[in-house]
Amino acid sequence: MKNPAIIGASIPRLDARQKVTGQALYTDDLTMPGMLHGAILRSPLPHARIKRIDVSKAKALAGVKDVITGQDTPQVKFGNWRLVPQSQDELPLAVDKVRFIGDEVAAVAALDKETALRAVALIEVEYEELPGYFNVEDATAEGAGLIHAESEGNVSLARKIKYGDLEAGFAQADYVREDTFRVHAVSHAYLEPCSSLAAPDEGGRVTLWTSTQVPYIVQCLLASTLGLPENHVRVIKLNTGGGFGGKMELRKWEFCAAFMALRTGRPVKFTLSRADELAFGRRRHGMTIRSKVGFSKNGLLLAKDFDVLLDGGAYNSMGPTATFLCGNFGAMLYRYPAYRYLGRHVYTNKPPAGAMRGFGAPQALFAAETQMNMAAHDLGIDPIDLRLMNAMETGDEIPEVATISSCGFKESLVKVREMSGWDVKRQEKRPGYGIGVGCYSFISGGVFNWFNTKYNFASAEVRVFEDGTAHLLTMATDIGQGSDTVLRQILAAELGIGVEKIRLTASDTAITPKADLGTWGSRVTLMAGNAVRQAAQKIKEMLIPVVFGHFDLNQIHDIAFEGDRVFSKARPDKGFGFGECVYKALKGRRGEPLTAFGAYTPRNKGLVSPAFSFGAQVAEVEVDRQTGLIQVKKMYTAHDCGVPINKMAVEGQLEGSIHMGLGYALMEDFVMKDGRTLNTTFLDYKIATALDMPPSESVEIDTYEPEGPFGAKEAGEGLVSPTAPAIAEAVFHATGYRCADLPITPPKVLQGLGRLKA
Amino acid sequence: MATPHFTVHQPATLEEALDLLGRHRASVKLLAGGTDLIMKLRAGATSADHLVSLNRVGGLNRINYQDEDGLVLGAGARISDVAAHPEVRKHYPALAHACSVMATTQIRNMGTVAGNLANAAPSADTAAPLLAYRGSVVLVERGGRRQVKLEEFFKGPGLTVLEPMEILEAIRVPVPPNRAGSCYLRLSARSQVDIAAVGVAGFLALDLDGCMMGVRLALASVAPTPVRCPEAEALLEGQRPDPQLLARAAVACVRAARPIDDVRATANYRRAMVQVLAGRVLQKSLAMAQGGAQ
Ligand SMILES: Cc1cc2nc3c(=O)[nH]c(=O)nc-3n(C[C@H](O)[C@H](O)[C@H](O)COP(=O)(O)OP(=O)(O)OC[C@H]3O[C@@H](n4cnc5c(N)ncnc54)[C@H](O)[C@@H]3O)c2cc1C
Repeated sequence: MKNPAIIGASIPRLDARQKVTGQALYTDDLTMPGMLHGAILRSPLPHARIKRIDVSKAKALAGVKDVITGQDTPQVKFGNWRLVPQSQDELPLAVDKVRFIGDEVAAVAALDKETALRAVALIEVEYEELPGYFNVEDATAEGAGLIHAESEGNVSLARKIKYGDLEAGFAQADYVREDTFRVHAVSHAYLEPCSSLAAPDEGGRVTLWTSTQVPYIVQCLLASTLGLPENHVRVIKLNTGGGFGGKMELRKWEFCAAFMALRTGRPVKFTLSRADELAFGRRRHGMTIRSKVGFSKNGLLLAKDFDVLLDGGAYNSMGPTATFLCGNFGAMLYRYPAYRYLGRHVYTNKPPAGAMRGFGAPQALFAAETQMNMAAHDLGIDPIDLRLMNAMETGDEIPEVATISSCGFKESLVKVREMSGWDVKRQEKRPGYGIGVGCYSFISGGVFNWFNTKYNFASAEVRVFEDGTAHLLTMATDIGQGSDTVLRQILAAELGIGVEKIRLTASDTAITPKADLGTWGSRVTLMAGNAVRQAAQKIKEMLIPVVFGHFDLNQIHDIAFEGDRVFSKARPDKGFGFGECVYKALKGRRGEPLTAFGAYTPRNKGLVSPAFSFGAQVAEVEVDRQTGLIQVKKMYTAHDCGVPINKMAVEGQLEGSIHMGLGYALMEDFVMKDGRTLNTTFLDYKIATALDMPPSESVEIDTYEPEGPFGAKEAGEGLVSPTAPAIAEAVFHATGYRCADLPITPPKVLQGLGRLKA
Repeated sequence: MATPHFTVHQPATLEEALDLLGRHRASVKLLAGGTDLIMKLRAGATSADHLVSLNRVGGLNRINYQDEDGLVLGAGARISDVAAHPEVRKHYPALAHACSVMATTQIRNMGTVAGNLANAAPSADTAAPLLAYRGSVVLVERGGRRQVKLEEFFKGPGLTVLEPMEILEAIRVPVPPNRAGSCYLRLSARSQVDIAAVGVAGFLALDLDGCMMGVRLALASVAPTPVRCPEAEALLEGQRPDPQLLARAAVACVRAARPIDDVRATANYRRAMVQVLAGRVLQKSLAMAQGGAQ
């Protein structure tokens, strides 16, 4: 299939200039007349009952306009999994109990931030401390107290998957191994700390400007927690400095801003500090993963048993989805004749884990890919060969879960082997040098309606004008990944007009069409892209008759939209400029604007996703065997993201993924003591810097995804998963030390080499 | 985080600066590059109503080397300027190296060596090489000047012998002898851009018989202050260099360390790394001395 030239073009972000020149507005840049500043009182204890709260001193402080506690609020529980109401376990402010250090207890709105912070310090809370549980083992131990009265043994939910005959598979296997992997929590570390500003609107309505990935979800949950009709709440996302899953829920300061704006009649703004974000913010789930696999002696996978305990922290947050997806990723990439998964999401007295780039995949794939490398070593088979023997292919089915409609996995393996010089380098015996491989697969959006939306998963409205321009309205949410640019490329490709001709209005719940579930699960390009295409096709249906009528074309002609013109493919002279064509159509409609609505909801696409990306990555490292220091020298990636809509944006995702994957593998870690996070600055919480970044080479495998717009699928998240297992294998190749518990730190390497006592 | 409020004073002379310190003695701090101070003010870890800036004090940013007097670094000398200075690179390569790898480009362009010493973090990167080069600091107050050896300057984390109204005016380092070698190695277990978890500096010279003399070893980040390693120095002094001896000295360095566990590294790992880095520092210093680089 031949795509228009704008598809795959490396055009820079349309908002890049505004951002790099500092003109782009983020929520915290906004101020309003009479605006109040908010501050939050958080629990200093990991687990306690609230006996008494006294806000009188705070209220009496000059400049304080409002103080609220849980008692003042409607006390409506919320959570993203509306489909399962009992999973909604959070209150906008704590009422009877606090469950982690940082749990929101009260909020203040004052004339300035200093006063608000001073007032917060004046609030007196009497607590009765309860025993805290800081890891899944303690939380699930017999006799452990319940963090939520409603859960069973602190397991908030469990998910099972089972297909094939597991017993027979293991019985048949010549080689069986069982390993336990531990992966840690890490921070999203988005550049823009959360900020929200709410202003009261006429008629008891409220508008919220907020840094979010999910304006629609925030609108719905904010309305229900405030006790307002959905349509009374307007949520607007301005520029958002990243999210990576950390901004995909209703947040408590969003509620407090709106609630206090309605109470005081004044705008109220909350902005978090980096220390707040690191100490109390959402994180990636730490997990304990026990995996058992069986192979035949020549390397064919026969069975796998995957048992996962997710450290959920104090609330469910997006844990149910992570639990669900982790089980799917445990059995992706390869053909498993028999598979069993048990995932249990466990409450602990720590900041809640939520969605984070990869959504269960980085953890599951670190375990699965490391175990694949271990098996290859024991079986005496090259790790890439072992993968090729078992790799999924286009058309494969995962029973009752998904069909793989396009798959460039084998091609990725072959390509990465060639481009990295694998076969030669793998034989190299230079001390401290190592090379390793890791792979990934990921979803292009989810099909499961956990939010229980009544609307389409993605929607778009397209308006076209007689001056040859168009207006695209969508709730799809650009948080820095570039969807505002990519969606305009898709519309430009359909209508045959330049991207610069397209005005975009996005992520305003009062204006943009209902609905879009937001940015997560790498869903936007495929889902919103399909919605945009559908709307554009409806517009084309309005324009095509104009050309036929005017030129009296034979029925068999086909109409092209290209180069700002609408014309017969066979007789290009028979046609108009795009604007003129709109003008003529408008005349025919007696002035009724040309507007069309498009939508996408995946149907009959199994349980997980309409499409899957695949890829393979190779890491080269050098390990100093005396200090244990690991230097990643080079990364090679071959991946299948379908047809890239914007090559530059895909490269950006790859670079960013390596950055995040490398941090996950080697340096990022929360240092915690009794539920308290000790490293709350970027000096102490280490993310990789430009100096830590290795050079990288990449190749995109040529595939076409039938379900995606112009053949596209995801490129935003999957790539974050292969890096850690690839580096871990390279470290093993270099030193003989096999890491099964991230991150791979120098002391662990030295301990593994017997050079440092534990 | 609330923003701190303070008044910044910009004196043009050291006299004026000393006057301002005196006038606002109730709540005043000196401001050099501000890369430590402003962070602490923002975090509420310290407070001051008045900051007396040294940034416009004339002549304070000098970097001066003379074959008789050695090196003088004015209190205003920026880390990046020290790193790039040809005489510093030639005669004090361990100091130049420390100044080129510590912190980040932006911080090096703003921060000063004097601020690094006055701030007295156990991890101060310039301290260990300056200890190895026998550096001292010139302190001035309204009553007069005094010169203090660097090894007597540090009193604890964030603590020095500086009196409240005293300014660190300059850093002085003697001329190294011929046939000398020196080296500074630092390590973070996490990232290229990080406060050092361990730093080791070494200096040695060779006499006409090829024996080691003037040996100095200093450690950063492994004790409440930057420290010397007297036992290791004594072990090497006057001896002919051989690999076993150097290795024993590296082990002796570990005994000078009193490390703690923190977010950066465990005490255990730090101790092991003192030995590894000290061994490498000694080998490199020796090679440099033997190569006649100095
Ligand atoms: C991101 C980051 C990374 C860093 N990395 C490192 C690193 O890798 N290694 C390292 O050693 N440090 C590091 N630092 C700390 C800091 O940059 C250095 O200590 C720097 O040298 C401080 O110098 P300054 O001129 O900025 O001092 P300032 O912040 O201006 O002053 C520091 C202290 O010294 C006092 N002071 C300053 N000048 C004088 C004087 N002449 N007389 C008396 N008192 C004085 C001040 O009152 C203040 O208390 C880092 C800091 C940051 C923010």
